[in-house]
Amino acid sequence: MAADPNTPVSPPPPEPHYSLLEDIQGLIIAAAQAALGIHLLRAAGLVTGGTAGLSLILAYALGWNFSVVFFAINIPFYAFAYMARGLAFCLKSLATVTMVSLMAEGLKPVLVLQDIHPGIAAALFGISAGVGLLGLFRHSGSLGGVSIVALVLQDRFGFKAGYTQLIHDLCLFAVAFWLLPADRVAWSLLGAVILNAVIAFNHRRDWYVVT
Amino acid sequence: MTEIIAENPARHSALDDAQGIAYGALMAGFGVVMLTHLGLVTGQTAGLAILISYATGWAFGPVFFVINLPFYWLGYKRLGLAFVIKTLAAVSLLSGLTMVLPRYVSFETLHPALGAVLIGVISGSALLALFRHGASLGGVGIVALYLQDKTGFRAGLTQLLFDACVFGVALLLRDGQTVAWSFLGAVVLNLVITMNHRRDRYIAT
Repeated sequence: MAADPNTPVSPPPPEPHYSLLEDIQGLIIAAAQAALGIHLLRAAGLVTGGTAGLSLILAYALGWNFSVVFFAINIPFYAFAYMARGLAFCLKSLATVTMVSLMAEGLKPVLVLQDIHPGIAAALFGISAGVGLLGLFRHSGSLGGVSIVALVLQDRFGFKAGYTQLIHDLCLFAVAFWLLPADRVAWSLLGAVILNAVIAFNHRRDWYVVT
Repeated sequence: MTEIIAENPARHSALDDAQGIAYGALMAGFGVVMLTHLGLVTGQTAGLAILISYATGWAFGPVFFVINLPFYWLGYKRLGLAFVIKTLAAVSLLSGLTMVLPRYVSFETLHPALGAVLIGVISGSALLALFRHGASLGGVGIVALYLQDKTGFRAGLTQLLFDACVFGVALLLRDGQTVAWSFLGAVVLNLVITMNHRRDRYIAT
């Protein structure tokens, strides 16, 4: 180091940012983990919270296609995403929601489960989709809908994103009790708790410093 | 050399580490279940264990557990007791899960190309979590982490070199197409680690 000893402190390094390629790989990996989680959940007939959970409940109750419902429900939220956090976030959310919709549909013919215990489905869903969401948050994307609202609340008021989603999930689960057998709802609850624990434990702006 | 110590270093609590290691072991365990269902191989210590498992008919779990035993000494000497305990926990959990999981999840259809990519993504993510929480899946991971911490040589690259040797042997044991899909999975896994294992970005230890 050849710094002039009279120079008090070196200027702070510029804030680190992801390159475009890093963001793309982050969003693809995260979308794949989220889609895998939803696929396992669906195989066991379980539900979850968030916009994905709302779409799953509609898909079960009305016999609609999950990916179509999920894509359509998210459309109004992009305007909110744009107003709240700008164009990049809006476009990233649109890209991820589209990828998850396509991947969840694409998994159907190539990954068919013969048998999956609902407890295992719930656990694998919770960690896979939880880490997927974490990856999306860290790369400033989202799965649209409720998670956008959750992110905005954490950014503006410091209210943890995991808690916002937990509150929303409780409302969804109240509806699920009317639609599904109690044991499926209980296993679904386990999955949602694991997912939200993953986010509450790991979504730390002070630990993961790049944006 | 003056050591620079951050005023307020970010530290994982024991509970933070426990959930990170549980994630890594369970996600990697699901990866191994898909891998062995498809008869694919992979790199690293797990790849060596899978080759031995295929060649002898022994179950992956116990083989993987035993192969890792000699590496704990290097892990202890170079990376400390906490690292060894965390790695032992991750390896034991993974070994156990690969014995138990197939009873609760089975596949009717799993396309080998999709399987290989998915295995790469989820196992890469699992290893990333283990690395960030100061653990590994033993063996080569210990050597790779040691090299990255000491010399800056990317852990992903060390593992890629070892993988090349394992895949050379795999070509003698499995058919070409199986090895090709396996190779795809290993490339995805190592890309996930190479692009995302950044001490300057995930600063908590």
